[in-house]
Amino acid sequence: MKSAILVKRNEPREEDKRNQNQMSELRELAEAAGYEVLGELTQTRYPDRKFHLGRGKLDELAQIVADLVPDKVIFYNPLTTMQIYNISETCRCETIDKFQLILEIFATRATTHRSKLQVELARLEYELPRARAVISLLKKDERPGFMGLGGYEDSYAQDVKNRMIRIRKELETIKKDNESLRILRHSRGFSLLALAGYTNAGKSTLFNSLVDEEVTARDMLFTTLLPTTRSLNVGGRRVLLTDTVGFIEDLPHWMVDAFRSTLEEIFLADIVLLVVDASEPLETIRNKLLVCHQTMWDQMQDVSIVTVFNKKDLVCEEELHMKIQELSYLAPEPVAVSARNMDGFDELKSRIDNMLPVWERVSLSIPMSEEGMSLLAWIFDEGLVHSVDYGDNISVDFEAREKIISKAISMVEKLS
Amino acid sequence: MFDIIAVDISGRHKLHEEYLMVCAAVAASVTADHIEKVKQITIRTFRSKEAPDVHDVVKMVENTVSALKFKGTIVTESGDMYNKPQWVIDSMFFQDFKYQESMGERRCMEIAHHVSLGARKLLLKELEIH
Repeated sequence: MKSAILVKRNEPREEDKRNQNQMSELRELAEAAGYEVLGELTQTRYPDRKFHLGRGKLDELAQIVADLVPDKVIFYNPLTTMQIYNISETCRCETIDKFQLILEIFATRATTHRSKLQVELARLEYELPRARAVISLLKKDERPGFMGLGGYEDSYAQDVKNRMIRIRKELETIKKDNESLRILRHSRGFSLLALAGYTNAGKSTLFNSLVDEEVTARDMLFTTLLPTTRSLNVGGRRVLLTDTVGFIEDLPHWMVDAFRSTLEEIFLADIVLLVVDASEPLETIRNKLLVCHQTMWDQMQDVSIVTVFNKKDLVCEEELHMKIQELSYLAPEPVAVSARNMDGFDELKSRIDNMLPVWERVSLSIPMSEEGMSLLAWIFDEGLVHSVDYGDNISVDFEAREKIISKAISMVEKLS
Repeated sequence: MFDIIAVDISGRHKLHEEYLMVCAAVAASVTADHIEKVKQITIRTFRSKEAPDVHDVVKMVENTVSALKFKGTIVTESGDMYNKPQWVIDSMFFQDFKYQESMGERRCMEIAHHVSLGARKLLLKELEIH
């Protein structure tokens, strides 16, 4: 097992509780990436341009590294290339920051072609602004070209840019395929539901319980990296539920862009189920909800949100009620459920049912013929049939999307 | 539903040796995820030779908000208040104050931003300041 030492620089005058939460999140991230945490180090000060920490604290870190010999030193705070270089040189140990750690997790979990491309793109986006500095540090004494007038930096940065363009093009093709699949699902009468929320809120567990599926769900950050879609029956209507990747605090903009095609499942849904862990302290839930709002607000258009307070079995009724009340300005349409005990699902489903795009109800008389029967079978597939009466004609009373109804009416007219 | 007043200031940079600022306040009712109703918008202009500090910003915001007929919690971006902690800024205001949090508040801030930016551009064009 790989080992690491965690380091965090606290902002002066930042709340202690917040600092502790951020450190424990870094610890969970490190564990999710397969690191054994050998030690933790914090310092409260403004950042140092050269070493990020103070010089004395860095010497202390170097001593700890010499004693414990970890594989990596992981910083919570984002580091510049020069800082990474200086810290690595002083401690004689590979140094990474939180974003590189997240990329590492994503890289180990990426199994499909699409997710591998996304991870590669995110890595390149991270690398690009640093590429020039890294190369000039590595090739300090070497100058290429005639009389040493050339430079490696530009050609490497150009290489990175070219690779990014290639990956973006390929992702664009995959995105188009997914888009057409989404349009097809919409036109076939499915409404789209997406699970969103902070990482480790219990989205996959809720997904598994709702659709009776066995998607991997673990008490670990970023267990889900690829959206999975299954159908779900809500009040007789079939809706498609998608499990998605979780959000995390300070997720940089370039990373949201790289994983855009994954997040689009959320942005283009009809209803978003925003999952929060009700068992956590109020302030933690508030911070996590804030991160979700921050990540989603700019991209979402006309999407209804249902806030699912998961793990209700772990809190008492009074406390849960208080939390829902206190967070009402951040949590629209709150519903409390327990994904593990499958408790509260009826209320959740009825809430979803109320918010689904409206279906109209009509009665049609279809001629009794082979074509008429196949039309009836199609109506059964696309809508919700309330009653069928087989006489000289077939009288069918059903509910469906407007598009389906007008298509059915035109087909009946054609048949008769 | 929550009554808020989203406030944004445009032009906090030097132009011809002075700061030409436009402050827009949007009174609205919002829910957690959308704007229910925009009730009123006011705009005020401010000129200064010096860069505005937190106290100046608070004064500008209060001045603009006082022209509204509706009451509500004042909401701004944290950058507008130099990223000072919320309790520090809250103590400077007579009304309730908070930083933007929910989607509804952010959408309302977006309106305030477009109004102040658009109004400033129009003013500069009319006054032929380039």
